[in-house]
Amino acid sequence: MRSVLCYGDSNTHGQVPGGTPLDRYGPAERWPGVMARELGVGWHIIEEGLSGRTTVRDDPIEGAHKNGRTYLRPCLQSHAVLDLVIIMLGTNDLKVRFNQPASEVAMAMGCLVYDIKELKPGPGGSVPEIMIVSPPPMLDDIKEWRSIFAGAPEKSRRLALEFEIIADSLEVHFFDAGSVVTCDPLDGFHINGQAHASLGRALAREVEAIGWPDER
Amino acid sequence: MPDMRFAPPNPLRIADRASGLNAVSVRGYNERLVLSLLLQSKHITRLEIGERTGLSAQTVSVIVRSLEQEGLIAKGEAQRGRVGPPTVPLSLNPGGAYSVGISVGHRQVEVVLVDFIGSIRSHAVLPFSAAAQDTNHPQFMSAIAKAIADLPQHLHSRIAGIGLALPGDEVELELTPRAARERFDALQEEVEREIGYPVYVQNDITAAAGGESMFGVAKHLSDYLFFYLGARLHSRLVLNHQIYNTTGAVSFDVGILRLEQEITKQGRQTSELWERGADWPSFGEAEIAWQRELAGQMKSSIAALKQFVPITSVVLSSYAPQAVCKAICRELEQAMPGISAIAGNIERSPKAVGAAGLPFSSRFMVE
Repeated sequence: MRSVLCYGDSNTHGQVPGGTPLDRYGPAERWPGVMARELGVGWHIIEEGLSGRTTVRDDPIEGAHKNGRTYLRPCLQSHAVLDLVIIMLGTNDLKVRFNQPASEVAMAMGCLVYDIKELKPGPGGSVPEIMIVSPPPMLDDIKEWRSIFAGAPEKSRRLALEFEIIADSLEVHFFDAGSVVTCDPLDGFHINGQAHASLGRALAREVEAIGWPDER
Repeated sequence: MPDMRFAPPNPLRIADRASGLNAVSVRGYNERLVLSLLLQSKHITRLEIGERTGLSAQTVSVIVRSLEQEGLIAKGEAQRGRVGPPTVPLSLNPGGAYSVGISVGHRQVEVVLVDFIGSIRSHAVLPFSAAAQDTNHPQFMSAIAKAIADLPQHLHSRIAGIGLALPGDEVELELTPRAARERFDALQEEVEREIGYPVYVQNDITAAAGGESMFGVAKHLSDYLFFYLGARLHSRLVLNHQIYNTTGAVSFDVGILRLEQEITKQGRQTSELWERGADWPSFGEAEIAWQRELAGQMKSSIAALKQFVPITSVVLSSYAPQAVCKAICRELEQAMPGISAIAGNIERSPKAVGAAGLPFSSRFMVE
């Protein structure tokens, strides 16, 4: 049995576009659920999606618990042993309160990768496979979120390249979610059920393509 | 002291977003290692690449992704086995890179343009006329320019370079028009200057052996004795994929020149013998006798070598029709039980195609 941790924000939590964190797609509709179905038996998929989660930043408004870095360690230890950690974060870091360019968000992704490498929650205390997933770019029309995310849509289009540069330099897997899905126009930055299905299928193929030796 | 973990990122290999091949300098050793494996095998999975190179799955992932973006490799359909997750085969993208190969023989010059898997996209033969004593230079340069022009303009940035196969055999050099040797020596610089691509030079027989190794029947062979049947019979030893290029290698007068002499004695036309890609008519008894003599010479070369190296595979490459090479191979196998003789499958221009492999090996493979 191989364990995969899906570490993300509201788009991993399965928040319905235009809804609140309590409006959530069902377990089978969310991308981790779709991916689990696609991968089939022999895989244990763990969902860890929190609405508003950032990469490394305490949110002065929403709370320190939105910091993806401080929660990552207990989370990894809770779910170890892990064969693969998939991280899809970055959109919330583009909130105007953080005032960060895309490249800094990518540096923060790098921090999370270092933390995983340091903690070694893989089989036998090894470093697990790590996959950085860049979130799909935000749409230009983000409705009532335009003040909170002022300037963010433009920055979000640069995340994929910045994340790929970090993934290359730290030698981890990378996938651009924007290559298979777009955000829903209802709020401009959440993905709908159809997109969850496409993303889950695409990520299952990426996970398989890593190449897994036969389990002893 | 700053924490170097958080210095600016230093990407291992982010593929250039522009179309075309990345600069030579950025192609690291591991990437060449992966490309070498792909050149040697038709299909390979990321798992197999990891197993055979010792690179981690994550490093392989980074390299494969950038090679994919660069258009050098392509993903195949996922294969579902009975157990375990499906595997995704990777292979070279034929249109990912192109190369020009030139071979200079004693009768003619051949220019080919090949794709990344060695398929000929353009082929031209120029007479190397003894009458043009000083140079056949303009014709030669325009043939190269034409081969490049046959490729659509937007693919020109995918040309890895030009390979030049030059004869080194003393006897064959004697057959070339006057002052050919000096002209050959200057060719590399001239082509580089006038055509503007890097030029890689190699001995023609070694280039032909390299061609069979990279694109042809010898892809999976690590040790074999390579024969090239041209005007004369030439050979090279290949051990552990390494071609031994000896200066002063001996050639034998049992080649096509010899057959020509025999046929001429009978007063028959011989021009078909030197044509590329044409079938030979039956030359009757003379041809059978020649085949036997040729196989006999190959046999004694193999026998001499076998005292030192346990060789069991032989490759016979030639521009001559494959049917002729196959007949010679059968003759040889009958005469030498335990020897597997394989006719090369690079038809028409093994030397020029081999020459075209030089820019690929030099830019994409490990030594």
